[in-house]
Amino acid sequence: MALRSAVLRYIRVPVQTLTATESKPQPQWSLRASLRLFSSHDVHLTKEEVIDRVLDVVKSFPKVDPSQVTPNVHFQKDLGLDSLDNVEIVMALEEEFKLEIPDKEADKIDACNLAIEYIYNHPMAG
Amino acid sequence: MAFALRSVKVPPNSASLEEARSRVFDFFRIACRSIPAIMDIYNLDDVVTKSQLRSTIASEIRKNSHITNPKVIDLLLFKGMEELNNIVEHAKQRHHIIGQYVLGRQGLVQDLDTKDEGMSDFLKNFYKSNYF
Repeated sequence: MALRSAVLRYIRVPVQTLTATESKPQPQWSLRASLRLFSSHDVHLTKEEVIDRVLDVVKSFPKVDPSQVTPNVHFQKDLGLDSLDNVEIVMALEEEFKLEIPDKEADKIDACNLAIEYIYNHPMAG
Repeated sequence: MAFALRSVKVPPNSASLEEARSRVFDFFRIACRSIPAIMDIYNLDDVVTKSQLRSTIASEIRKNSHITNPKVIDLLLFKGMEELNNIVEHAKQRHHIIGQYVLGRQGLVQDLDTKDEGMSDFLKNFYKSNYF
């Protein structure tokens, strides 16, 4: 409801500037534009933040050697973990970013770069 | 919510090892997702962390990783599901959880006094288990 009125308010502004004889005061429009910008859905994680947090989670996994962890490392091939460890790392990432990853996607996350890609593209990552 | 887990029945027949493996991972995910609720019910926040509980669950599953018969795996999953249900619906108590899943082998054994130093190895093994 609030979103609808915010959108309607935003759409109404260009029409008013066309028909008015005097120019609309500028601060009013920029206030309207900035009202949209302050909505909570526009806050996304930056890529570096995602990379840092993912690497921290992988490094703090007890079976992992922290010096071997790079953003491209493969969990089973490079770090020598098994498939259960893979699932455990994905669950640890779910906890860190407050997500719930469905099983089909979780099965595909085999390496650090896939995890970073998935989390960066997830709208609810927090 | 507590009885929601019970409705996820493990059908008694896994056709192959691959299906049993995916059931094991599903069970592991269900268990990990109930960890925050478990920590809340039993007030485990100052005793153990979530990642330690995850590792404990993973090592319990790994103890049976050598089994190749899918029906045996189904039975183990059924028992695991039952245990998880008992824990989540507060049928167990805090000392059960701490004793079974937080402390290692050395935690429960009280023989760290000086009077037990001279005890024979035979007796120590006997106290641990029947088969040695």
